[in-house]
Amino acid sequence: MECNGCEFRPELYYDKDYQIWVRVEEGGVLAVGMTDISQTIAGKILHVRVRRPGTPRPAGKPVATIESGKWAGPVPNLFDCIIAGANHAVLNEPALLNRQPFEAWIARVAPVGRLEDALAVLVTGKEAYAGYCERCRRDEIECKRL
Amino acid sequence: MGEQHYVDHDAKSVVIVMTSGPSAPQRCATPFYMGAILASMDADVKIFFTMEGVKLCQKGVPDNLTALEGGKKVIEFMRDAKSAGVKFHLCRPALPGYEMEVDNLIDEVDEISSGGALADLILSCDKALYF
Repeated sequence: MECNGCEFRPELYYDKDYQIWVRVEEGGVLAVGMTDISQTIAGKILHVRVRRPGTPRPAGKPVATIESGKWAGPVPNLFDCIIAGANHAVLNEPALLNRQPFEAWIARVAPVGRLEDALAVLVTGKEAYAGYCERCRRDEIECKRL
Repeated sequence: MGEQHYVDHDAKSVVIVMTSGPSAPQRCATPFYMGAILASMDADVKIFFTMEGVKLCQKGVPDNLTALEGGKKVIEFMRDAKSAGVKFHLCRPALPGYEMEVDNLIDEVDEISSGGALADLILSCDKALYF
């Protein structure tokens, strides 16, 4: 699925600004990555830094920091969690986020509370698709891959 | 695994004093870029616009200014910083010198502050940067 050339995966969970995606993995751990929208806005990503595994991250405190030549900002976090791991492939080759935004996860996090409560602050499926397309239209975003 | 890839800092407060303005456009992107990175690393970041820096908070100025020819507009760097959590303070005493009025400011300004407020921020923050 896509909107304005921006790939969308309905099985994932998203924040309401569609900056990040979240995938449920074995054991209730969540993988976090950047959407096609985010990687397009950022441009070629040059540096990724992740909070050290084991670090608690309250809701609102980023899990990682992203830098491109023209953009710098956080990978946001919407629920209480603990950093479970970082994707070393992405840390060593940040442009993977541009080439394969839905394969290249950035960090794995473990929710502090129930998994359902963490997912409740995110959107998925048809609702997410509608919002994703609306964001693309509203901000005139046309996705590009490096 | 390189240690440089991990962020370990505790929360800190940072004040960026922005004195550069449209006469030196090449100095008008990095402070916001740095502010966005610092905020993303949990720092409580305030950018205090004073001297010619106040011009960047005047409507119509940062949306027509680029640090590099043909590059991203300064207002976009400012909005990136805001999105990351940076707060913008504007120095009220500096406004008359640039013939600016408080009713002609960009929406991104959080507070219009006194010179004393800047002094308080500098004395109480962990780090102060000047551009």
